[in-house]
Amino acid sequence: MELYYILGLPLLFAVVAVTGLLGLKLLHFADRLTATVVFGLILHMAAEFAAHPHEPIRQGFFYVDSLSIWMLVIVGALYLAFAWTSKAYLERDTNIRYGYLRRFTHLEGRFYALSHLFVWTMMLVVTVDSLGLMWVTIEATTLVSALLVAFKFTRTSLEAAWKYVMVCTVGICLALLGTIILYYGQLQAMGDVLPLNWEFMKVHADMLDHDVAKLAFCFLFVGYGTKIGLAPMHAWLPDAHSEAPALTSGLLSGALCICALYVLLRATAIVMPVVGMDFISSMYVGFGLLTIALAVPFVVVQRDVKRMLAYSSMENFGLLAAGFGLFMPLAAEASLLHMFNHALVKYMLFYTAGTIMETYATKNMMRIHGMMQQAPKTAMFWLLGIVGILGMPPMGVFFSKFYIIASFFQAHHPYLGILALVLLAGMLIGILYHAMRMLGGKPTRKAAGELMGRLDSCVLLLMLAVSGVVSAFAYELPYVGTLLTEAAKVVMGGVQ
Amino acid sequence: MEYLMVLLLFVVFLQTRVMELRRSVICLMVQSVIIACACLLSGLNHGLMHALIPFALTLGVKVLFIPMAMLKLIKRITDEREIFSDINVNYSTMAAAAFLVFGYVLGSRFMLDPLARDFFAATIMMIMTGLALMVMRKRAILQMCGLITLENGIYLLGLIITEGLPLVVELGVFLDVLIAVVVLVILTNRMSLSFMTTDTTVMRKLKG
Repeated sequence: MELYYILGLPLLFAVVAVTGLLGLKLLHFADRLTATVVFGLILHMAAEFAAHPHEPIRQGFFYVDSLSIWMLVIVGALYLAFAWTSKAYLERDTNIRYGYLRRFTHLEGRFYALSHLFVWTMMLVVTVDSLGLMWVTIEATTLVSALLVAFKFTRTSLEAAWKYVMVCTVGICLALLGTIILYYGQLQAMGDVLPLNWEFMKVHADMLDHDVAKLAFCFLFVGYGTKIGLAPMHAWLPDAHSEAPALTSGLLSGALCICALYVLLRATAIVMPVVGMDFISSMYVGFGLLTIALAVPFVVVQRDVKRMLAYSSMENFGLLAAGFGLFMPLAAEASLLHMFNHALVKYMLFYTAGTIMETYATKNMMRIHGMMQQAPKTAMFWLLGIVGILGMPPMGVFFSKFYIIASFFQAHHPYLGILALVLLAGMLIGILYHAMRMLGGKPTRKAAGELMGRLDSCVLLLMLAVSGVVSAFAYELPYVGTLLTEAAKVVMGGVQ
Repeated sequence: MEYLMVLLLFVVFLQTRVMELRRSVICLMVQSVIIACACLLSGLNHGLMHALIPFALTLGVKVLFIPMAMLKLIKRITDEREIFSDINVNYSTMAAAAFLVFGYVLGSRFMLDPLARDFFAATIMMIMTGLALMVMRKRAILQMCGLITLENGIYLLGLIITEGLPLVVELGVFLDVLIAVVVLVILTNRMSLSFMTTDTTVMRKLKG
């Protein structure tokens, strides 16, 4: 029953917001209320579920097991963060100080409606029970978020949105082809009971034909890989992440791409028994490391602050793909944890980057110096976020990255582990170089002063703290350890 | 069914040769009509309801709504910079022919039944031609036509090898195509407002 509330409330809010019945104050209030209630319900559901982790919830077209719950918690946490930072962001953005962007004036309702719809589609992705519906909802996320990417309708954001829709729709069409081929395999092997139902196919997975399953996996990997942003198909990712409004960039990077990864993992669990681990594992690890390798040079020469963060996201998705690709319990748990940490820290970073853009009225990092003097609070958050995403010890990302790298060595791939470390070091050098240049030095540009408010800085600090505490004490905290272990078992489902 | 496939191939070849926006959309419409008929024919073996719903949906979404929306868009956009490239046309026709051959090669590797092989080759050709159109055409509307061709091809392939997806999924797919076109129409409209053209080559600011 809770599930219906979780899925119903954002939709209800979106409908109300788009009609414009609510005044601006009421709109902000309702936005926060909806997200808080939804997140509370998700936490309640997660706690109830963790008590009986072996009984997945089956209702109508929905199927919720530990992996879905973990993803719901991530999406829900970002939803909450979105709701509590959106007011500050929108008010700042409606500011008429800089006239070169179309402002949000009078469009808050539409922005809220689209954002909530976007979160709603992502929640659907992780709760529906069949691979076909997962495909449908993933495509829906692309379409809703394309309108968000183009929300300001500047020339560059239009370009980004066009590229996004075109590249992702083609990719997702290939995934549809993969799904159809998998369905063909199911029809051949199991008849037409429960078509494309994940649980059913998972149980009878070893009846699939080897060649059909392999072909389907290739199409699914390329298709959903496009949406994740894996290396040769990543063209849309930096554009969309850098041109969207900062809040949307945070949601795109933190939640959307890992939703695609989630669907890919579900599909992998089905084809795994017949295709075999070697092939699948080498695809995941190879493309994952290639993605990191491709992101590093682009970060080093980057001038656009949000593009730099987008390439850092690519690095993290590559690491996630490689981590899942090892198909070891430790790696799977670490990667799941990394999803959570990356989502929180990257959202926080994108928000801060949006604030920096407003402060300096530019996205060009080469023109920003001396943030420490001009906007010390923003500068501190920027530093914390950068340190967080690079995986320095006290932050959450450190733990998850450490475990992923450690599992490379445990899986007897020491050279790949060293390669990953070298690439991560390159990333660290590139990002730190740019961040330090921005923080230190003499101010050369007029700044709008300190824009970070009280509420949003509390939210950002809380996000960093939660990510740190959850990853440091994952197995000591109630529920978290159980959920992680169970979710990792679902990911590892097909491995014999 | 065989006649439908021949007709379909003809229309797709025609599509590669058309550069004028309105005609291209009409081509797309004819193509969707053929898909709808194929839907009806292949569904009739499995009971009337199973045939009628996809048929009606294809007719409503792909034959009526999408072309109408695109035609309306064409009326509205201001296209000051017209592009004519004849070489492009010949290349894409050649490519389509090559894809057809490729489809037969692929079909003979996977399937033995010659009739199924014909259908399979036609769908592969549609999918690949759709992709090629998206890459080779510069104007937004023609790229959209390529996308719908690609989608039609995949849908037809699903129809042939699995006799249609489960109904819920099929409804979802139609809904997604519908929304995709709405989103693309909005974007194209804004593009023509802010760039004064729908030539996508003007959008090359984002790099690296």
